[in-house]
Amino acid sequence: MPTQQDDVYGDHISNQFNEELAELKTEFLKMGGLVEQQLMDAVQALIENDSQLAEDVRARDKAVDRMEVAIDEEATRVIARRQPTARDLRLVVSVIKMVNDLERVGDESKKIAKFAIGLSEEGQAPRGYVETRHIGNHVASMLHDALDAFARLDSEQALRVMKEDKRVDEEYQAATRTLLTFMMEDTRNISRCMSVMWVLRALERVGDHACNIAENVIFMVKGEDIRHTSMERAEEVVKR
Amino acid sequence: MSTLNTSITTDTAQRETTTQDAVSMAKEKPAEAAIEYGKTVGTPFADDAKFCLRDVEVFYGDTQAIKGISLDIARNEVIAFIGPSGCGKSTFLRCLNRMNDSIDICRVKGRLELDGQDLYDPKRDVVELRARVGMVFQKPNPFPKSIYDNVAYGPRIHGLANRKSELDDIVEDSLRKAGLWNEVKDRLDAPATGMSGGQQQRLCIARTIAVSPEVVLMDEPCSALDPIATAKVEELIAELSQSYTIIIVTHSMQQAARVSHRTAYFHLGHLVEVNDTDKVFTAPEHELTESYITGRFG
Amino acid sequence: MTNSTSQAEIVRQSLKRRYRKERRFRAYGITAIALAITALVVLFSDIISKGHTGFLKTTVTLEVTFDPEIMYLEDATDPAQIRNADYLAPLMAALKREFPEVSGRSGERALKGLLNSYSSSEVKDLVVANPAVMGTTQTLTFVASDDVDVFVKHRDDSSYSLKLTEEQQAWTLALMERGVIDTSFNDVFFTHGDSRDPGHAGVLGAIVGSLLTMAVTLLLSFPIGVAAAIYLEEFAPQNRLTDFIEVNINNLAAVPSIIFGLLGLAIFINLFGMPRSVPVVGGLVLMLMTLPTIIISSRAAIKSVPPSIREAAEGIGASKMQVVLHHVLPLAMPGMLTGSIIGMAQALGETAPLLLIGMVAFIVDVPDGFFSSATVLPVQIFLWAGSPELGFIERASAAIMVLLTFLISMNALAIWLRKRLERRW
Repeated sequence: MPTQQDDVYGDHISNQFNEELAELKTEFLKMGGLVEQQLMDAVQALIENDSQLAEDVRARDKAVDRMEVAIDEEATRVIARRQPTARDLRLVVSVIKMVNDLERVGDESKKIAKFAIGLSEEGQAPRGYVETRHIGNHVASMLHDALDAFARLDSEQALRVMKEDKRVDEEYQAATRTLLTFMMEDTRNISRCMSVMWVLRALERVGDHACNIAENVIFMVKGEDIRHTSMERAEEVVKR
Repeated sequence: MSTLNTSITTDTAQRETTTQDAVSMAKEKPAEAAIEYGKTVGTPFADDAKFCLRDVEVFYGDTQAIKGISLDIARNEVIAFIGPSGCGKSTFLRCLNRMNDSIDICRVKGRLELDGQDLYDPKRDVVELRARVGMVFQKPNPFPKSIYDNVAYGPRIHGLANRKSELDDIVEDSLRKAGLWNEVKDRLDAPATGMSGGQQQRLCIARTIAVSPEVVLMDEPCSALDPIATAKVEELIAELSQSYTIIIVTHSMQQAARVSHRTAYFHLGHLVEVNDTDKVFTAPEHELTESYITGRFG
Repeated sequence: MTNSTSQAEIVRQSLKRRYRKERRFRAYGITAIALAITALVVLFSDIISKGHTGFLKTTVTLEVTFDPEIMYLEDATDPAQIRNADYLAPLMAALKREFPEVSGRSGERALKGLLNSYSSSEVKDLVVANPAVMGTTQTLTFVASDDVDVFVKHRDDSSYSLKLTEEQQAWTLALMERGVIDTSFNDVFFTHGDSRDPGHAGVLGAIVGSLLTMAVTLLLSFPIGVAAAIYLEEFAPQNRLTDFIEVNINNLAAVPSIIFGLLGLAIFINLFGMPRSVPVVGGLVLMLMTLPTIIISSRAAIKSVPPSIREAAEGIGASKMQVVLHHVLPLAMPGMLTGSIIGMAQALGETAPLLLIGMVAFIVDVPDGFFSSATVLPVQIFLWAGSPELGFIERASAAIMVLLTFLISMNALAIWLRKRLERRW
């Protein structure tokens, strides 16, 4: 798939280097795709009480872990062999950090799958699943957009993902309040609602990780670290 | 895994659309059109300038080697000149102590000042200038004399020492600064050409600092050395930077990244970018700089 | 796979061809060197076989009785009479004692032929210097006549035409048996100047003449040549004038040496009125001849000094003069010296220009200064080679050997100096 974006990291004098960076990118995107799938499957398993799908998600987490290790190794090799600079350096460093985020998302998915199995065994009518579905879709699209921004080196899209994170936080706040109401209404619901709370908490964390990935994409593209700065600063950098 | 792969491939395929950023980051062919004459991005000027260079142009016969470079070099800074071969970085370096004088067809234009005094003033004594602006060359070039005589040569011709003991002190001091004293103190009378390449280069540095220059120019000082000798010379540069202004031309970008405070990127006789070294090597401002340091052309 | 094996086959075949070519080339080289060595061996063996006898002299040792009577002396104490006495008579008497059977004028004349014509005056010098020997008998050794010398050394060599009669040959053989005629190391050859008589001719005059001439040449051409080379290499601007000078220097090196002789004759002798055949003029002429060689080799030596050393010195702040004096000159010196010595060796072997300024004259005395008439070794060889006396043939060859010894030792000196000075630490 020779495209404009491949060119950005693919026009070194050393073809080997081109291939190594392309490999790193492809592997990262593959892992991203896998993690995205994990997340969506986990949420689906929870909502549809599909314990089989949940088991699948838990089993596939091993693959995610292996990919994390493989990508880290590849990145280390590139640093050792090529001493990348400038945008190449930023790519490698960002991938190392983002891979960590992806792995965490994988862990959160596994956690959701675990709750899905637990909840499906209790087999009662779902409470708070509407919120879960909503937030789940939201963070899944955030993750998708963040990976998309990485693939296309699109800092504006990355900025949009960062802004989305605020909305996810608000939705999370609202959902916890709703669940608290459920729990107060009927104390028998507490244990189930606590499980759903944990799932919501995990999804909120996924949103944070997507946000981290977006920040790293902006660093990759613009060369400026905008973590722990204001949103205005981030906008300024992206506009540049 | 294979089933996943297909789904991901289609997924990534969807992402293949060109965006504004991708265009701006895409490779621009290194062309002169990308450079504006006499224009440098980054921070070429300094407040406490040792060298103040404005609109410098150098011609070899009809060929213009340096195209309107303006640059300040601050006191006690280490500045690295990088760029592809033939970009004029060595030529520019040699203007700073008028080593180009011996080339008949070489002409230098523009304002070049050291501490506010014109370098190319016809009344200016080039010998005095070179005592203040020392130079270390690409190939270690010790004189075919003893280690002692090599270091003592400069102080002798400039009459810096009146007595033998003073000269001894200068030699010891210079060798100590060059980190060579412990290696050679027992064989000062041994021929300098019998030393290893790295030692020879450090001896040349000792020889240069023996006349207490204010500025040390280094023209690819490590290109003939092995990595360990290179590391020692780089360590030395770091130590010397506390008392000297050091200007180093290097082909090794890693070396520039390691030793310098600021890095200047030259391209086809232009000074394209000057910035803090950290900035140049993580996020350079000019596309040509980026292309060069990331190994996209050379 | 088939492709690669066939390729290997092709390579193997071409390899054979290449090795053959290489062997052939090596054979050519060896042949050339063998030819050169053969020529050298022939030359040397010829010269040595002809010349080695030149280092021997044939002597006649006689018991000479200084009897005033046969010397027609009335008063043996009167210096005037002593100076005019007959000194041949006692020699003849001594010879006759060896051969009592010889009588008559023709026999005496034949006997006299064994003696060198210079012997009687040698006896006279002895007696004049020391009149006390009158009346005593002394054992004296004389150089034999040229003809006896040739007979003793070359009687088995058909290429020499012997001038001694059968009778004289018999006497000589008899005297050789009795030890009267003998051969010994030819000290005369190294202690005398030229002479009309081969037995009394030596190369000392020519050697001293050569040394004086060379001294003048060296003292003038080395400093001038080195200074010119340094100026042209280091200081002269690169323009048409210097190019012109460079071309001319190169051309001058190729000018036949006799032209320099003409120049010397016209300028030094005719224009400046310097005396003829003196070492100073010879040295000046040879200086003109060696200057281009020295300048060219010195410039090459200066050029070969690595520019890095020059830059190093300049970078420290050495002035142009300091760079040249402290660094360029010491490094170029071995090359300059070698060039100069080779130039001097050329000059030492030079004849033609010296002929024109009169150094070809017959000069008996060993020169005692730069302004006394002198000749030089190659000219001496040239003179002897053209002399009719048979004894000069071997002396010419001997002189060639002396000259070659000088040349070889000069070249050896050049090599030694280069090795010693070129020690680049």
